Amino acid sequence: MSDAQAEGKAADEAAKNPPPYRTQPESPAIVSLVGVGKTFFRGKEPVKVLDGLDLDVPEGSFEALMGPSGSGKSTLLNLIAGLDRPTRGKITVAGTDLTNASDRTLAKWRSQNIGFIFQAYNLMPVLTALQNVELPLLLTSLGGAERKKRAQTALRVVGLEDRMHHYPRQLSGGQEQRVAIARAIVNDPKIIVADEPTGDLDRQSADDILTLLEKLNKELKKTIFMVTHDPAASERASVQRRLDKGRLK
Amino acid sequence: MAMIPLSYSLRSLMVRKATTFATAFGIALVVFVFASVMMLGNGIKETLGASGREDTAIVMSKGAQAELGSTILQNQVGKIAQMGGVAQGENGPLAQAEMVVVITHPKVGTSGVANVTMRGMPDNWLKFRSEARIVAGREPKPGTREVVVGRAARGRFQGFDIGKSFAMVENQPFDVVGVFAAGGGSLESEVWGDLEVMRTMFDRPGLVSSVHVRLMTPGSLQAFKDGFKNDPQLREYEVERETKYYEKQANGLGQFISFLGYAIAVFFAVGAMIGAIITMYGAVATRQREIGTLRALGFSRISILLAFLFESLALSAMGGVIGVVAAMGMTTVKFSTMNFASWSEVVFRFVAKPGTFQWSILFAMAMGLVGGLLPAIRAARMSPIKAMRGSSRRRGWHPGRWLRWLRRPPRCSW
Ligand SMILES: Nc1ncnc2c1ncn2[C@@H]1O[C@H](COP(=O)(O)OP(=O)(O)OP(=O)(O)O)[C@@H](O)[C@H]1O
Ligand SMILES: [Mg+2]
Repeated sequence: MSDAQAEGKAADEAAKNPPPYRTQPESPAIVSLVGVGKTFFRGKEPVKVLDGLDLDVPEGSFEALMGPSGSGKSTLLNLIAGLDRPTRGKITVAGTDLTNASDRTLAKWRSQNIGFIFQAYNLMPVLTALQNVELPLLLTSLGGAERKKRAQTALRVVGLEDRMHHYPRQLSGGQEQRVAIARAIVNDPKIIVADEPTGDLDRQSADDILTLLEKLNKELKKTIFMVTHDPAASERASVQRRLDKGRLK
Repeated sequence: MAMIPLSYSLRSLMVRKATTFATAFGIALVVFVFASVMMLGNGIKETLGASGREDTAIVMSKGAQAELGSTILQNQVGKIAQMGGVAQGENGPLAQAEMVVVITHPKVGTSGVANVTMRGMPDNWLKFRSEARIVAGREPKPGTREVVVGRAARGRFQGFDIGKSFAMVENQPFDVVGVFAAGGGSLESEVWGDLEVMRTMFDRPGLVSSVHVRLMTPGSLQAFKDGFKNDPQLREYEVERETKYYEKQANGLGQFISFLGYAIAVFFAVGAMIGAIITMYGAVATRQREIGTLRALGFSRISILLAFLFESLALSAMGGVIGVVAAMGMTTVKFSTMNFASWSEVVFRFVAKPGTFQWSILFAMAMGLVGGLLPAIRAARMSPIKAMRGSSRRRGWHPGRWLRWLRRPPRCSW
């Protein structure tokens, strides 16, 4: 039996028999990681990025994750968002065990539970703001009129209803990111993950985005998990965490 | 299953205009060749294959591919005409012996020569050859060196016009007195005159090339054929329905030209398909982050695959339409070629049929499908983690970069 498998087994045990201090969380954890490890392979050489990581994120919290470059922040975020699977350990998010879910299951699950905000906004350049926001709704059974209405509502929340028919290249960086936020909330996910959402923005636009995230957290009760390098951004969150050498502090 | 909007694929094509049109142009070229070959095939069938009548049989010597290589003894003609299944006219059985020779004659407008079929026919041939009519001038007088030229040959060779003449044997010129039409087929590239006069001039005493026989009904062919089995002399001859005969004539040349054309089309198609593959791989490479994002949002691999396949299909269909439009221009072009079956020159046109353009566009889309498949599979296999990659550096193939490379300042190597 390899080390990794042994560790995986240990993590499973831990999940089955949680230690006593874990049994009474203050509010129910919407994200729960137990003994999670992630190892990448560069050729044949294993690169251990995360190792034996435990994390509970209570529902409705706004958490910021900081840490040096290469410490595995994005890797952790990808695991929580169901974009990748852990090498060891157990991940439960929004009531679903993601540890061994298939690609297909994960895709469906993401479309219903996760809103994504990316550093580079990642809007489709050939679609208008409205069409971009409408994209996640294409994965639902909603009709065209209803999709459009909801996309418009989401754009109103981010204050861009007057830019509906603009293409991304006709918008400023801050506006693009707001469209991306509208896309992230349009199908009403429980959790929003953001990887350096203000990384490409100037101070003013960054502050606007952070204010918007605060609003989503407070008014729409979204759980937000945000990776950032920016201390000012981290300040705005309700919980600050640090990742260093694969361990949470 | 959730579909990525088609407009996403279409607009993505329009964003990279230069690459899209370069690729579409390659496909258009192939489709142009493909459609032209099909239209030429149609033209050949129309020119050569549309001739002849269902209720007429043609008798030739066994093994002759065409009238030109066939010889029938004049003294057997009467016997053939008396056989069962032959329709009767006012003056006896409806049968006509004809003699076919090929002459080499200078063309008009070039210094070259080409082959022309000359056909000698008995008196009253206009009655028997009911598909033929005089469209200009008049009928030739029987027993003279007067001839009529087919309307496709008129003006294309020296002396081939009303009031002019041309000579095969010195001091014995043929006088052109009229122009005939014969249903648009290859007969319209011939020159028709008197059987006896031609037989003397071309020194073929006692021989004809073929006997054309009007049947009582199209179904009488078998009865007519059966008569040939019992006579040892007639067993040297072969009977065929006229329509079938012309069809065969068309096939020889048609197949040759089609084979050449399709070979070229396939050769080009491979190139155009490689172009489509490169373009689509480039599209996938430059849009890794977009694809990753769509996957992250929850679109399935199949949706991604279909979106890129559709993009490739749209690209090739566009090329197909351009190619077809260009090929339509070919319908105004005429050209002449050697018909190897009769060793004479015939004139062809490019003839479009309803199926021609559908097939051409389908052919283009098949290229798009095959060329787009591998890139689409690569797109579908892309990990959603690609969405997380920060920078938006552009990668992949872009014609602009090649142009810049071509325009780079020359470096001296010595
Ligand atoms: N797919 C992969 N294959 C191999 N190694 C990887 C892969 N993804 C990440 N890594 C490695 O894992 C480590 C952590 O990467 P990660 O992107 O999580 O860091 P990060 O904390 O987000 O850094 P940054 O602040 O620069 O974004 C890095 O050393 C990286 O090279
Ligand atoms: Mg990162």
